[in-house]
Amino acid sequence: MIEPFTVPFMARALAELALLAVIAGPVSVFVFARRLSFVSDALTHTVFPGVVVGYLAGGIDGVFAGALVAGIVTAIALTLLTRGGALSDDASTAVVLTAMFSLGVALVSRRSSYTADLTTFLFGRVLTVTPRQLAETAVLAVIILGLLLVGARAMIFRSFDPVGAAAAGFRIGWLDLWLNVVVALVVVAAVRAVGIILVVALLIVPAAASRMVTARLPVMAALGTGLILLSAYAGLLASWTASVEYGFSLTSASAVVLVLVLAYLLLVPLGAVRRRRRAPGHGTHAERSSPHELVG
Amino acid sequence: MGDLAAAGAALRYTGASIGYHGTPVLTHVDLNLAAGRRLVLIGPNGAGKSTLIKSVLGLVPVLDGTATVFGQPPAQARAVTGYVPQTDSLDADFPVTTAQVVMMGRYRRIGWWRPTRAVDRRAVTQALDRVGLADRAGTQFGTLSGGQRQRALVARAVAAEARLLLLDEPFNGVDAVSQDAILTVLRELSATGTSLVLSTHDLALARELADQVCLLNGRQWAVGPPGEVLTAETLRRAYGRHAVDVSDGRTVLVEP
Repeated sequence: MIEPFTVPFMARALAELALLAVIAGPVSVFVFARRLSFVSDALTHTVFPGVVVGYLAGGIDGVFAGALVAGIVTAIALTLLTRGGALSDDASTAVVLTAMFSLGVALVSRRSSYTADLTTFLFGRVLTVTPRQLAETAVLAVIILGLLLVGARAMIFRSFDPVGAAAAGFRIGWLDLWLNVVVALVVVAAVRAVGIILVVALLIVPAAASRMVTARLPVMAALGTGLILLSAYAGLLASWTASVEYGFSLTSASAVVLVLVLAYLLLVPLGAVRRRRRAPGHGTHAERSSPHELVG
Repeated sequence: MGDLAAAGAALRYTGASIGYHGTPVLTHVDLNLAAGRRLVLIGPNGAGKSTLIKSVLGLVPVLDGTATVFGQPPAQARAVTGYVPQTDSLDADFPVTTAQVVMMGRYRRIGWWRPTRAVDRRAVTQALDRVGLADRAGTQFGTLSGGQRQRALVARAVAAEARLLLLDEPFNGVDAVSQDAILTVLRELSATGTSLVLSTHDLALARELADQVCLLNGRQWAVGPPGEVLTAETLRRAYGRHAVDVSDGRTVLVEP
């Protein structure tokens, strides 16, 4: 079962996904706690034109810079707009996001290798990760974990009780920007490997799945990382086996995400049991049942 | 903190207008609350009770007039104020234990990333003990009853060792046991010099608890000892037809 991973490109793919697992596990917990699945969703739409512009300007290495600039700009814009209450999860916002996405598609469509390029941006190329890309992801991972570690306590307070946190002297606007930037950096780190569509899964599914078995935030983060690692291994193995043994192609990144979603679905009954076991009579709290919370 | 302790008045508002984006929500606020005293805010829904509390925390600006908290601008006095939100305003599904919620009262002292110290953990244990939730430290906050959650939030303010406690309708939807537990803690805190500001709809409670009552409805209608403020005449002025006289000579409020 480890033999495919002795092939260098498979080993690099697994290493890249392992790095992403280490950051996406904890970050997804904050995305869950702050109900930021909408922000993750928005980021993937706005990072897309940035990725395309970066690619047109500097090839595959330009993607990183393009995603970084678009991600940070979006993080700042979202922080300002949500702060003034000007932005909500409604139709007008969806129109803007779709427009950004269309802009990206329009830019790609000017190229002759249109279809192949589009596939790369949307679904990533985890099997062609280079050592340089790995190094960049590792650096981003250290930055992201550092930002999380320093801001975790304040961000948890802010997520749970915004007025209380503000009353205690925490600057809510800065904390929101902090977390939006962290999410943007995860999108940037993951976009080349898994593409902009599937990165949403890494930001949302781990915490939603681990919440089924635990209510402790650090355990949720660790469990989320574990789930991504497991999915990375199983997904890569499945896509390898499919193409080597059975001769049909199964996109690696989508196989990984499918395993992740499968893990989530398997944990759903456990969550239901947990909730039922919880003190009867307190079952009237609004549960997070909006589909948006789960699928972005 | 020497300056703050020396300042005689916990709250001093003169001709203050309070509101958002330049539009006043509450006007003509004149308050002078001595340190260690208890102020109860009375008024119908939307009267500006929460706005006044948030202005004390420096979260809603004073547009006109002046407001000081222990002699300082409100935002600069946050180190000595403690806020107790309504439990309904919080996400009951948020994955956090009762002890963690109380520990949030210590975050300001601990800082951003330093680990919690023994003194912080002791403060949390003692605060939980005072509100009668010592055995619930490890319980998920969301699985507590409404009254227990409100007690935990009071414990959080106790752990913060605030000199001025602000409570936004702390008895809304709270069971009698929890109300008693909270009132006991508030009286103890008051006896040791903590100032209190509390909003409520409960006139009987205001009469019993307050040194001063402030009657609000878009503006301040009256302030003073409960016996002077909670009269049929002033209540009717603030509430209009929602103040109803009942047979024993007292006035009750009916919500529209």
